[in-house]
Amino acid sequence: MDRMLQTNASARTGTTGGGSGLNGRIRRGQLPMHLLLWAYVIVTLFPLVWLLLSSFKTNREITVNTWAPPSRINFSNYKAAWESAHIGSYAVNSLYVTLAACLLTLLLSSATAFALSRMRYKGLSKNIFAFILIGLIVPPSAVFIPLYQLVTDLHLMNTLRSLILVYCTYALPITIFILHAFMQSIPRELEEAGIMDGLGAAGLFARIILPVTVPALVTVFILAFIGNWNEYIFSQLFVTTESLRTLPTGMATFNDGYRTNFSSLSAAVIISILPVLAVYMFLQRQIIDGMTAGSVKG
Amino acid sequence: MKPALRNPWTYIAFVVPTLLLYSLFFVYPVIVSFIYGLYRWDGVSAKAFIGIDNFTRLLDDATFLKSLGNNIYFMAFSLIVNIPLVFLISIAISKVRRMRGFYKSAVFIPVVISTATVAILFGVLYDYDSGLFNQALRAVGGESWAREWLSNPHLAMLSILIANAWQNIGFFIVLCLAAILNIPKEIGEAAKIDGVDGWNETRFVTLPLVRPILFVMLLLTVSGTLKVLDIVQIMTNGGPFQSTEVMSTYMLKVGFRSMELGYGSAIGVAMFIITMAMTGILHRISRTEEVHF
Repeated sequence: MDRMLQTNASARTGTTGGGSGLNGRIRRGQLPMHLLLWAYVIVTLFPLVWLLLSSFKTNREITVNTWAPPSRINFSNYKAAWESAHIGSYAVNSLYVTLAACLLTLLLSSATAFALSRMRYKGLSKNIFAFILIGLIVPPSAVFIPLYQLVTDLHLMNTLRSLILVYCTYALPITIFILHAFMQSIPRELEEAGIMDGLGAAGLFARIILPVTVPALVTVFILAFIGNWNEYIFSQLFVTTESLRTLPTGMATFNDGYRTNFSSLSAAVIISILPVLAVYMFLQRQIIDGMTAGSVKG
Repeated sequence: MKPALRNPWTYIAFVVPTLLLYSLFFVYPVIVSFIYGLYRWDGVSAKAFIGIDNFTRLLDDATFLKSLGNNIYFMAFSLIVNIPLVFLISIAISKVRRMRGFYKSAVFIPVVISTATVAILFGVLYDYDSGLFNQALRAVGGESWAREWLSNPHLAMLSILIANAWQNIGFFIVLCLAAILNIPKEIGEAAKIDGVDGWNETRFVTLPLVRPILFVMLLLTVSGTLKVLDIVQIMTNGGPFQSTEVMSTYMLKVGFRSMELGYGSAIGVAMFIITMAMTGILHRISRTEEVHF
């Protein structure tokens, strides 16, 4: 884990130095690299550009004038997609579930990580930590059927609460793992001042440790947020009421119904990815770091 | 003075809610999954204990074996095609001086898009009449080059693999790039002074030093491809003619469409065991691999 966080950190700073004598030679040799990378970037982004262009065309234009830009910019596809796909209400459901699950995850896992990493119950904490880390190795797909039964038995079927609880639970192990590593590295001296001031364990957690942990909290928040926002299969299993669907399942349903209406489908896909791309524009570094921090999960 | 960090009530309050939730929604279903696997049960009538019959049935179940084979195909494609491409692009990014941030951000864009959306996007791109792929092929080679990407049993799996690669490669590039940039630059400079050219530097200096990240990528690929679900379910749901069926889509069909909850659970347990075995072997190998600068 430490190694991962370190490598991420160094990727950010990058390396820009180098002997000035070598510069000219290196720069000349870089043209093929840039060409290769531009080719790759264009191949990667072209489907999205193509989809964007299609979203302004009519279905006939998409088939006949595939390569031409749309004859005119009209937003009728967007209007149709917005009205027939209920993207707005799906997005609201997604946002509610995602935020609620993230906040619950952060609350529970920061408290637990604190207790396990800093409170003086070493033996017990070690066992509990190991128990929680089992969650990192079992793929959730292995438990769909019993989990479905459980959600039914708890009368949570067709509620957004089922998703909040399940998303929170499945984010706990990796979140606790990352926060535990971070909190363990906080120097003891920081706490001692608080203890002198008469703070108890809860006070130390809230007033001393939590404020220092904010960078790690941002990382795990992003990791959990993107995971929940994009989650498809639990949402598809537990929520069948149309009005309660989240964005990924809503989009998949829309896809089934409009498989041949490409102009509307293109517009719907663009609407659903625009907010994500907008947030990504502003928080690239945090998002990249947050998402790759979870890679130890494998 | 009572030690502030030894307060049992605070400890309980901080740990127990997490453990309750974790036990209820994770540990309990895992255990139940193993138990259900030993029964024949349709969810309505009484469970019938049949021992390991569900598991021996797996070995004779042509569809399950076909699904497992497709998971392996998925894994092999990702290892053979995706990972070399990841190395190529990340080494290229690490060698350029300008626009490194731009390249990194650009290749990561598909990663933030949800798999459901990627599946729909590629469904549009693969359309026979107006999809990007066929229109490009028609432009090059005429009508006869157009293909039924998702409804041809021989092409459907490949089509999904391309969509999956498009979405996932950026994630691996960022991981791999971080590892490459983490190599102290003195090593590269020393190599240059010794007259090592770019290709040999990559081959004999960079690649051996980023072996740990290669193992991380192998682990993520193996565990990820064994549990792959979303993209397959939305793009083809296992069809046509089960040519793209994977273990998880088959499990959902057995469990929720045929209502064979016992057999479905057994498939889930089998997935778990196969994943554990494969990642366990990789862990064993990677433990002997340590790199020191």
